[in-house]
Amino acid sequence: MEEFVARYGFLFVAVVQQALLGLSLYFPLMAGQLSLASIGFYALGGYVAAVMGTHPALAPLRDALGFMIYPVQWLAALALSVALGVALGYPALRLRGIYLALATIAFVQVVGVAALNMPVTGGAVGIFGIPQPFESRLAYIWFFGPLLLLTLALIHRLERSGAGRLFFSIREDELAARAMGVDVTFRKVQAFVTGCALAGVTGAMSAPFLNTWNVRQGTFDAAVACLAYVLIGGSRSKWGALLGAALLVSLPEILRPLKDSRMILNGVVLVLACVYMPRGIAGLLSGRDK
Amino acid sequence: MSLAWFLQNLLNGLSIGSVYAVFALGYTLVFSILGIINFAHGAVFTLGAYLTYVLAVGQFGLNGLLAGVALPFKLPFVPALLLGAALSGLAGMAVERLAFRPLRRRGADALLALVSSLGVALILVNLIQYLFGAEIYSFPPDVFGSLPPAMIFKVGGKMVAVRTVQVILFGVSLVMLLALVWFIHYTVKGKALRATAENPDTAALLGIGVDTFILGTFFISGVLGGLSGTLIGVSFGLAGPYFGVAYGLKALAVIVLGGLGSIPGAVVGGLVIGLAEAFLPPDMSSYKEAVAYVLLFAVLLVRPQGLLGAHVEQKV
Repeated sequence: MEEFVARYGFLFVAVVQQALLGLSLYFPLMAGQLSLASIGFYALGGYVAAVMGTHPALAPLRDALGFMIYPVQWLAALALSVALGVALGYPALRLRGIYLALATIAFVQVVGVAALNMPVTGGAVGIFGIPQPFESRLAYIWFFGPLLLLTLALIHRLERSGAGRLFFSIREDELAARAMGVDVTFRKVQAFVTGCALAGVTGAMSAPFLNTWNVRQGTFDAAVACLAYVLIGGSRSKWGALLGAALLVSLPEILRPLKDSRMILNGVVLVLACVYMPRGIAGLLSGRDK
Repeated sequence: MSLAWFLQNLLNGLSIGSVYAVFALGYTLVFSILGIINFAHGAVFTLGAYLTYVLAVGQFGLNGLLAGVALPFKLPFVPALLLGAALSGLAGMAVERLAFRPLRRRGADALLALVSSLGVALILVNLIQYLFGAEIYSFPPDVFGSLPPAMIFKVGGKMVAVRTVQVILFGVSLVMLLALVWFIHYTVKGKALRATAENPDTAALLGIGVDTFILGTFFISGVLGGLSGTLIGVSFGLAGPYFGVAYGLKALAVIVLGGLGSIPGAVVGGLVIGLAEAFLPPDMSSYKEAVAYVLLFAVLLVRPQGLLGAHVEQKV
């Protein structure tokens, strides 16, 4: 049992953590915007938490706050993500489709290069020995679990409220939405920034969870993995990111006996899923695939 | 800021920029025909470098499944380069059959094609790692490295050296580029290719085998990718199975900067980014990898269709 928890506890929490990242892409997708910026905000949030958790100058603050340092880290990451999200969102969201996707990839790459070169982020080595609030990996579900529930509840509300319907109207036809008097730019930025904020907070929670934070957390590959969760799971349902993350995060673990060839199989699964489940798992389950 | 320094950086920037351009052309060709970005192009780039390495060295590396397996022959570098590029072209065709054709048949949207090409990239990169091992290879120095500089001249009392590799990089890129332009604009097949790009359905009605032409485009794209992989590999050393990922992204920046789907755009984009990297002040050199993306972002804000891209009409 203990072995089971040690092995699969991490996996379980990792699925929830990755699902949160997938959902951070789902917000802009609700408004029809394909943005891959999330992973850059995830990296930033992680660095905020890692620096606040380890920097010697902040030791008095940590002593004073105790466990409360963690929520403070989340708030700091949230504030930074929102500010930067707005600053990036207004110019970037003038771009459409593939151009927006590529511009946001450019943002992710620039964050990576900056992290690699700045002293405060620890360069190529990164930041390690980040203080951990819990003994067991599984206990981190107390961080990620409530955030996931909160996010799902927010999406549930959005889908039934005016703001959410405005998002969908932009997704279906931006010009028509604009003609109907929807403030398209504002709504797009709103959806984008919500995604950025979620990714930033997820990053801040992930730094203690992973114990170490470095440039590898915010790579293009990671951004693509997030996109894959949403698309494989189903890009038109909030459950898509969860289902996709569950499948793609656990697949390499389940295939572990296959050793080196398991990533090859991961690629095969991606291709097959695109061909045979164009609306993702969620689309398959809801029976609207035809 | 001497003249010699300027000339040296100009040469460096032109030679590397021309290879970026050749690599980026592979993306642009596929984009102009299918309207999608083939993310497996970076993996084909890596594959091209590995294949040429195997053909030129005559054995399959030291690690991985194929460790110690030797070829019965060993090719001189130029035939190895050409054969490696041709094999990369075949790999490009395989990418089309695996990742794109099944989706096209089903009329799936461009996003799914993007992910499925990423899936194929994952398969290719990990297959390379599986077969060759994860360690870093480099081309043997007798390929080009030990050749004397093609030219050394003095400007204002300072030496400017033109490395032979640079001349070859520039020359091969130029030849590839001219050949491509000639093919597309002055041959019947090229005309059919442009017709397919314009409107696949009409092209099919006019008796053009659209599938064959798409397959052909992927072959050319793969050749361009594999060739540039080898050239960059020879110039900087071949760095493992993930070699192509960063260059693949940079080449994407190149085509978007120049204008998606535009052939002169890819060339201009490649040269601009190559030169910008070369002229980065030495104390900022650790930020070299960010140059392409900062430029990309800046250009997109001012001119979303890229430097030479056609203005995209808004649908009504």
